[in-house]
Amino acid sequence: MILLDDLRKSVIDGDMNATQDQVHKALAENIPPEKILADGLISAMSEVGRMFENGEFYVPEMLISARAMKGGLAILRPQLAAANIKAIGKVAIGTVQGDLHDIGKNLVGMMLEGAGFEVIDLGVDVSSEKYISAVMEHHPDLIGLSALLTTTMPRMKDIVLALKAAGLRDKVKVMIGGAPLTQQYATDIGADIYAPDAPSAAQCARQLMQG
Amino acid sequence: MNKREVIRAVLAGQTPPYVPWSCGFTQEARTKLEEHFKPLDIEEALQNHILKLGSDIGFFTDLGNNHVQDVFGVDWDRSIDKDIGNVTGCVLPEPTLQHYFFPDPLDRRFFAEIPDRIARYRDRFRVFQIGFSLYERAWTLRGLQNLLMDFYDHPDFVHSLFELIADYNIAQIQEAMNYEIDAVYFGDDWGQQRGLQMGPRLWHEFIYPELKRMYSFVHAAGKIVFIHSCGDVDEVFEDLIGIGLNCFNPFQPEVMNVESLMEHYRGRLTFHGGLSTQRTLPFGTVEDVRTETKRLLKMGAQGSYIFAPAHDVEGDVPLENMLAFIELVQNQPGYRDP
Repeated sequence: MILLDDLRKSVIDGDMNATQDQVHKALAENIPPEKILADGLISAMSEVGRMFENGEFYVPEMLISARAMKGGLAILRPQLAAANIKAIGKVAIGTVQGDLHDIGKNLVGMMLEGAGFEVIDLGVDVSSEKYISAVMEHHPDLIGLSALLTTTMPRMKDIVLALKAAGLRDKVKVMIGGAPLTQQYATDIGADIYAPDAPSAAQCARQLMQG
Repeated sequence: MNKREVIRAVLAGQTPPYVPWSCGFTQEARTKLEEHFKPLDIEEALQNHILKLGSDIGFFTDLGNNHVQDVFGVDWDRSIDKDIGNVTGCVLPEPTLQHYFFPDPLDRRFFAEIPDRIARYRDRFRVFQIGFSLYERAWTLRGLQNLLMDFYDHPDFVHSLFELIADYNIAQIQEAMNYEIDAVYFGDDWGQQRGLQMGPRLWHEFIYPELKRMYSFVHAAGKIVFIHSCGDVDEVFEDLIGIGLNCFNPFQPEVMNVESLMEHYRGRLTFHGGLSTQRTLPFGTVEDVRTETKRLLKMGAQGSYIFAPAHDVEGDVPLENMLAFIELVQNQPGYRDP
């Protein structure tokens, strides 16, 4: 469908005004909002992730594409709500206690949103208690833990242990990421997913929801 | 040969009598070492070969409540990171420099201690430090996400901002040349764990021209150029060498193959760093640290290498692991503690 192809292109190009115009046009053409979301916005962000993985896109391109996607989503959201279309899952993300770095966590949030998730951003310096409260309040499918420093990595293990102690470990999956992190560390602390970058985080989360 | 001469030999691609070193530590790690070495002064105990002059990240005014303000007006939260801090707020909320005035690059505080420090450590190689030397200075003022999008949204603004930052640095370097310095040590993180944050195209368009201008200025004065740039940035090494880079730090083994890069660039580029601070130092055993240090010393024996942990050592590194590499570098055959 040419209209949705144009929409995809405007998101990939990071053109927010064109994206919003295309969403308006698609709605005017009576294309179902869930189709505009899936075949337009989500499909485009998936391509953005692929281009990042291939070294064709870097952080600036990802940021402007995510901004365009959000602009389109803002127009689409009331229509999705009216049609009772739910997000494919819910994720609560944060940078762990003792760490104030947020660019990595923010990129993960954008890519998750672009993959169709509802994202609850808990911010930076997030304690185990705050994660537990978020799980109890929002019932996310997944929590995302970010750390840039080796000094704050151990907080991730604390959060996994706190989830177990609160009897919530089987209610939510745990995804970790950040510069010093590895798959081995994820395995060692009992996290479910290690994501080396934002597009991988979104991809892993989608795979998780698809079972 | 004294320490200064050894570093000069290494930078000239000659084989040194031993591998020189210059290791940095965060406050927390430094406190552990000071406790261990007391009453010996930590600078004497470490025997670093590089003497750091100026102030790499500038001077700060205490705002109270663990916040400090740098000379550019940026507010830093030091409640957690006591060494640098994290930027709060945004000095340039809009992409314009219309109402912003740069601070005085010749602020005497940047130069006041230079003569005394040189007199005290005469045998060391003298570097004048300029931290946050371009991209980082820009994003601390504008906000990281804003700046990254400005590359596309407001390219003229980014060019102007970078040009003014480079002008500020050049004015400071010009003043530093009045002292007996050997090199200028720039600091500007461009990398992430994989690749450049902004990618090679934008790096070439925005960052490269200003680096070329700053490096040329240093070379015109007959001095050496060092750059510290964290992350996976080796794809721009050829460009950096082309505009006169002499020494690269931190040489992180988690993101680049230190052995093959050393082999490839030996004689054209010197590396400073190399010891894993994301894995071996915080999580390895003393034996792991010794093994990696020995491997690096062997790799650097032919020159073009200055040993160091690939970042200021963090507070989570056990004292024994710090002492392991300090002991090995100081016990190299050919090195005599003066």
